[in-house]
Amino acid sequence: MDATLKLWAVIAIVGTLNYLSRLSFIAIFSRRHVPVLLARAFRYVPAAMLTALVLPMVVEASGGGAVRAASAVVPRIAAAIVAGFVGFRTHNTLKTLAAGMLSLWLLQAAIAWIG
Amino acid sequence: MTAARDFREGFVGMIPVCIGTAPFALVCGVGAAAAGASWWSALGMSAIMFSGAAQILAVQLLAAGAPLAVIVLTCFVAGLRFLMYSAAMAPYLRPLPQRWQQGLAFLLTDQAFAAGVRHFGAGHPPRQAARHYLGAGIALWSSWQVMNLAGYFVGNLIPATWSLDFAVPLCFIALVAPQFRAMPSIVAAVISGFAVLALAGLPMKLNLIAAGTLGIVAGTVADLAKERWTRR
Repeated sequence: MDATLKLWAVIAIVGTLNYLSRLSFIAIFSRRHVPVLLARAFRYVPAAMLTALVLPMVVEASGGGAVRAASAVVPRIAAAIVAGFVGFRTHNTLKTLAAGMLSLWLLQAAIAWIG
Repeated sequence: MTAARDFREGFVGMIPVCIGTAPFALVCGVGAAAAGASWWSALGMSAIMFSGAAQILAVQLLAAGAPLAVIVLTCFVAGLRFLMYSAAMAPYLRPLPQRWQQGLAFLLTDQAFAAGVRHFGAGHPPRQAARHYLGAGIALWSSWQVMNLAGYFVGNLIPATWSLDFAVPLCFIALVAPQFRAMPSIVAAVISGFAVLALAGLPMKLNLIAAGTLGIVAGTVADLAKERWTRR
């Protein structure tokens, strides 16, 4: 298959599937009542899904899933904990981002300086 | 005029989050350029798929020469979390006209979901919260396109030592950290976190959806147990 055609086939199919996933329950529950137990379960979607998204990004190399060297991972984990604390206290995206990036750079510089 | 104000407040309120997702968008744009896509194909991908995770996977698999069916299936599985977001947003969007539901659904992303749940959950009238959400979603969508193109054209100039990719988990941490006030949410996060790392060997990012499901079940059980405990 031609490369451009294949790319656009991916865009069209994945785009459609993504949209249908996003619309799915919004459309279904616009006519039906949301079951009580399900409504309770929905409250824990953000905590569970966002944690599952974040953790691999912090501890694994992008794409492969291979674990980074300890000297590369430890600053990322420490910076993520600092950012989590700031996010918990402030509810502020930019402060969380700044705290996380600054901690990471400082720790990386410290590790490079130690050798 | 209040309609315009709701929209504007949603839009402006999302700008810090857009700055947070900008590095993610840059990474996607760099990936598309590296895979040899034309700039308008890269734009089509970010505008229509509108999902960083799916875009990165698609580009990696295309470059590796994977069959169309594999690419589509992998991206679909990574996007299964949208089903959960859709389910969680459904009760809030229920009072709105169908056309609004269909429009707002397109803008449902991780960031829009976290902001939307918080704003709708704060008890604003549905119409007002919907306009706020529309503003927030359009801010995210438009900045996503601009930064994807920026990444496509000039992203390779950013030095690797800046560790810009770390901004991606940080913007998710900013979304999830405020959740850690309720005990069942903490249980959900801890179980999900253990599971996603323990199941990292699963193909097609299935560990994501499996861990998410386990975490949601754990959080719900913890919630029910807590309720039973306090009722005694």
